[in-house]
Amino acid sequence: MKHLLRSMVLAGLMLPFLGWADDALVIEPETSHVDITPEFAGADVKTYGVIDGPGDLIIKVTGPRQDVTLSREIKWGPLWVGGGKVNVAGAPSLLYLYATKPIAAILAPDEQDKYQLRLEGVRIRIEPRLLGHAADDWRQAFFRLKEKERRYVEDDHAIKVIRDRLVVTDIVLPADAQIGNYVIETLLVKSGKVVGHDVSHIEVRQIGIERWLWNAARSHAWLFGIACTLAAMVLGFTLSAVFHRH
Amino acid sequence: MQLFLPIAHMDVNIVLILMYGGLVGFLSGLVGVGGGFLITPLLIFTGVPPIVAVSSGATQMAGTGAGASYIQWRYGNIDFRMALVLLAGSWLGGGLGVYLANILVRGGQFGNVVTFLYVVLLGFIGISMLIESMRAIIRGGAPDAPVPGEIVVRRTRRHPILDRLPFQMEFPISRVRMSALVPLMLGGGVGILTSLMGVGGGFIMVPVMIYLLKMPTKIVVGTSMFQLLFTTAAVSIMQAGANHSVDPFLAGTLILGSILGTSYGARLGARMPAEKLRLILALVVVGVAIKMVMVLVVPPSEIYEMTVRVR
Repeated sequence: MKHLLRSMVLAGLMLPFLGWADDALVIEPETSHVDITPEFAGADVKTYGVIDGPGDLIIKVTGPRQDVTLSREIKWGPLWVGGGKVNVAGAPSLLYLYATKPIAAILAPDEQDKYQLRLEGVRIRIEPRLLGHAADDWRQAFFRLKEKERRYVEDDHAIKVIRDRLVVTDIVLPADAQIGNYVIETLLVKSGKVVGHDVSHIEVRQIGIERWLWNAARSHAWLFGIACTLAAMVLGFTLSAVFHRH
Repeated sequence: MQLFLPIAHMDVNIVLILMYGGLVGFLSGLVGVGGGFLITPLLIFTGVPPIVAVSSGATQMAGTGAGASYIQWRYGNIDFRMALVLLAGSWLGGGLGVYLANILVRGGQFGNVVTFLYVVLLGFIGISMLIESMRAIIRGGAPDAPVPGEIVVRRTRRHPILDRLPFQMEFPISRVRMSALVPLMLGGGVGILTSLMGVGGGFIMVPVMIYLLKMPTKIVVGTSMFQLLFTTAAVSIMQAGANHSVDPFLAGTLILGSILGTSYGARLGARMPAEKLRLILALVVVGVAIKMVMVLVVPPSEIYEMTVRVR
């Protein structure tokens, strides 16, 4: 009875994905969290999975959102001067599209759009809002820089599938990985259709005093600023007084 | 030896940061400038996000300023009365500057205009100081070597309109008498500029005090340091409050390095003749101007730049 109930609940949960929830697929990173310690220099999170039988896989890793400022320089006579800046909001800090083959070869364009499997298909918000095509240059620059810094990566060699069963991949987190929740979404594709779907997470978090400071700087910004500045003044004064005596 | 910065979110070499601090502290102790123009690019070059570099630099200056002010006070180099008037002016000007900046940002190109004005201003100040201090060194001392009747000479040398302004005030430590409106307005002008440009402004304030207010160089160094302490403390608090960008580990390490530098700089400054101090300051100011010109002239390798706003 209990078993049946659980199955029904599960089926209910799967209802929105009914079209492709039929094939078994499990993907799980080796760890559910990455701690940023003082020695943190990036992490390589091994991720394993199982599929039943041949098929193509797409693993999409989406980092937490991160607001950035874009600025540009323009030539003005012989000089290079500031040509404005915009804020880009709502974009993930990191986006990896790993696949067993080029995604365009696995899925039709409209399917790609449906599952948001294009690096440059990410919705970003440019502030202030620009009229017409004024935002296009900024948009292009954003994606170009993200790809240049290897924060937005499409890689069709990143997934290793052993005997059509075992899946192995490496999720590489950079040294300056944004703190927060990384979503790993896996799609199993057979003959141009998504037939399996799995989601898991990696939490990147700070620990110890660094975490405490990071939290304090956000949750009590002004108090933190006043405390830091006063502490700095006391430190400077005390050190000076000590050194100057000798 | 590595240190992880929780706010900048990166590893840095402690020795390197201590050296940066030492260098900036040395300059502060010697000529009374904050060194924000130096520390910010150094940190950015090391990979610290610009906003964290600017903010933690301000925190560091508040710390270094507190230490350096103590030393300068021990040398009797601070004119507190003058500092307070200048400070009142620079805060008023700073507030007005923020307001102006808000309006001007909407106007688009104004940032560039300010940069040009700044380069011209710095270049002019720097080169005039360079010429003046070189001449003084060649002549062997003067013009502000303490000679009898000096104050009288100075007073007549200033524009007569300055002596007719209301609120005449005696500044005994600086050995000048003038209307309080003069330093108030000068402080205000510097405050506006610093708000627009986002730097401490020590290297504008110092020449202003030496050449326009005709204060003795050593008193200028001490007084500038003292008033800088308050300006940078205010900036530090505001940056932390608005941008969450003050990194306490970074600022602390910088302060540690800078205090050694400041102590050495102030000791050297106390022994050094005033015209040589002015020459060093002139070189610093010219150096900053050249750096700004370079930024304008050298083509950037990447036209677009992306910086993470808040982590």
